[in-house]
Amino acid sequence: MNQPASNPSGTVDDYEEIHQAFEQIKQKYRADLGEKDIRYIKKIRRNSRIFEVIGRSLIHILPGPFALVGVPFLFLHRNLEAIEIGHNVLHGQYDSFDEIPQFHAKNFRWKAPVDETSWRQEHNAVHHVHTNVYEKDPDLNHGFLRVNSQVPHTKLHYFQVPIYLFLFYPFMLYNFNAQNLGVVDKFRKKYFPEGNKGYAVVDEALRLSKAEGQKRHKRAVRRVWAKEYVFFPLLALLSGFGAIKVFLANLLVDVINSYWIALTIQATHFTEPLQPEDAIKNKGKWYVSQLDSSVNFKGNRWQSILWGHLNYQVEHHLFPDIPAHRYPDIAVDVQAVCKQYNLPYKCNDSWRAAIKKFVGAMWTYSFKNPAVPIKTAFLDKAAYIDKEAANAK
Amino acid sequence: MLNKLSNQPLIRVWAQLLSVVHPWLIKTLGRDRLEYFASNTVNELTQRIDPFIWTYGCKVKVIAIRQETADTKTFVLLPNQHFSTPIAGQHIELTSIGPDHDANRCYTLSEITVDTVSITVKLNPEGEVSPWLHHQAEVGMVFDSSLARGKFVHRDQDKVLFICAGSGITPAFSMINNLLAQSDKSSASAIGLFYRAQTPDNTIFSKHLVKLESAHKNVKIELSYSRLPVDIVTPSFIDQLSAAYPDIKQQHVYLCGPELFRNDVIQYLESVDFDLNNLDVEQFTLPVSSNQQVGIDGGNNRSNLKGDVSVTLKAQNINFVIPASDCNKTLLEAAEEQGIVMEHGCRSGMCGSCKTNLVSGEVSGNQIGRSIYPCSAYPASNYIVLE
Repeated sequence: MNQPASNPSGTVDDYEEIHQAFEQIKQKYRADLGEKDIRYIKKIRRNSRIFEVIGRSLIHILPGPFALVGVPFLFLHRNLEAIEIGHNVLHGQYDSFDEIPQFHAKNFRWKAPVDETSWRQEHNAVHHVHTNVYEKDPDLNHGFLRVNSQVPHTKLHYFQVPIYLFLFYPFMLYNFNAQNLGVVDKFRKKYFPEGNKGYAVVDEALRLSKAEGQKRHKRAVRRVWAKEYVFFPLLALLSGFGAIKVFLANLLVDVINSYWIALTIQATHFTEPLQPEDAIKNKGKWYVSQLDSSVNFKGNRWQSILWGHLNYQVEHHLFPDIPAHRYPDIAVDVQAVCKQYNLPYKCNDSWRAAIKKFVGAMWTYSFKNPAVPIKTAFLDKAAYIDKEAANAK
Repeated sequence: MLNKLSNQPLIRVWAQLLSVVHPWLIKTLGRDRLEYFASNTVNELTQRIDPFIWTYGCKVKVIAIRQETADTKTFVLLPNQHFSTPIAGQHIELTSIGPDHDANRCYTLSEITVDTVSITVKLNPEGEVSPWLHHQAEVGMVFDSSLARGKFVHRDQDKVLFICAGSGITPAFSMINNLLAQSDKSSASAIGLFYRAQTPDNTIFSKHLVKLESAHKNVKIELSYSRLPVDIVTPSFIDQLSAAYPDIKQQHVYLCGPELFRNDVIQYLESVDFDLNNLDVEQFTLPVSSNQQVGIDGGNNRSNLKGDVSVTLKAQNINFVIPASDCNKTLLEAAEEQGIVMEHGCRSGMCGSCKTNLVSGEVSGNQIGRSIYPCSAYPASNYIVLE
């Protein structure tokens, strides 16, 4: 079987074979779940705590600009909690371990200003199911983003690069709620000539009631603000240190963390090609559509932890609820299957390269009719089997 | 080790302090806000400081024990923030009681206040759990509990008659109190209670019942006794019932008591052509202990499953029955057939949105250990509890 499966001539049997191949990988890693995963997530939590203590103490004690020394530590804490722990736990990756109820998706509370329940409904049940499906994947073009030519162009799109880079990304975590509450849907309906055409709108039937969603959103934001901008500045004030310094340092960490996460998640999804709406009806097709719409970028194990293993976006989208620290191992198996069936396995050389490509697409589609037929250029450069990694094992 | 610790004065003082703080917290903050605070601050340290509030489970703490009759005690329980306000007539299942802290029993709530619930337990000397509750349980003990559930609740009928015997008084007592507490209905509706106890001394809530009847004109209470001294001639309780409530056919009847008693009453109701649609009977279907379950080993032999499947969704506090004919459907589909919405995404076992944990029972199909995927898992035992 040498046909690329993304080729429409791929028959049902090809897809069944592909489905079985990925299913085998899934079962292999499911069978291996155990003590190792429990130790791993506990270790990450312990380190996150240590970073928090170091970070907050330094920011608290050191005078004026020297408090900046504490910022990287506090960032490590916030970042580990937000993605390597939070994002992965909320996928239910650790649900099957009785020993760690604190890492069960339904018990877990984020140290990020995002309501877990609405986020899980949007992210797990919609984005992961309909990845890159036109008008269905809310993360493909969140806000008013335009990253493919099917989305109707408006004047606002000329400014999308600066708006996103300087206004939205610094507060990315706060934007998640706006999307889940349907605020953006309302904005597009009001100000865009064609309304929500080209964008995925919140499915009311799936969501929490409006009042409940708003209450949870407020609470999710307030718990972060209470801690970062009220409690710790006040503590500094009461103990005779600078409250404003603490406030500003915490704000800086918040912004860096948001920016870090924004760049990580934006750089790991291809904005094209769009995927068929019915991909989920056929498991083999669905696996291929996930391969086709996700892209990895290279990094070592330590770096991967800071990216929440989202640089293994391909593996994450194939197996969203297998503990993420296993993705580097899974990647080897996935690459072998991709090679065998001649499937696309997309990987960028570095985070930098991935960001460059994404910002490039954002820039290109800020114009009504981009001069370059970006689709082919965009794909050919990035789509290759990560041979180095496959040979290393 | 634990016993040694609990004797230390500091720990005792701390427990004393918490026993004051807990009711205050739940009353002033409310369960919803307390849940917000506790769930965002729970960690290994806070769990050790106060395992009642900083916990992932629904727990109740005994805050008072009252002797009702010689062999009946009422336990006033303070549920933590995971509990939600019950409807009068519902019951809770306590799951960590008995001498080994592993028994589970259902108890109807006899009293409901803003922050507490009460259960009233009759001593059964041959039983395992009730002697333990009567003799060993003390104020300050904490049990694991379910949320309140059950459909034996008042549904806005104007004329109601509660017929009960023994400890079957508990749902009637809480429903009557609840009806009288609703000011708009307290005088409008007609409330009848026919209560059969063994002797006047054995009558649970006897003082309360006398007070209720004298304070409210629309309440009519008839007591009947089964074990009076032989020299007192008593009519059969059915005669007493028909004499006291001649207009029984115009009333909605709630029936709760031992099986023989229930059968007698139902027989009588049938004999007077009572419309059985106006009858609610409390039957506990839940206390199935784990060793009584009809389990079938995993794999795909789901066709072997015989009979209906009772499914409980703990977090949503929903209980439903999958008819035997639907047992070849996935749990998600079967629930949807019953009009129940479960969280889901792809419906094919890929995205993990529906993933939940099995508390008891068996399923076949897509699962990792106790984690199951309702969208692609099938019932494999007659009694399934999901987280």
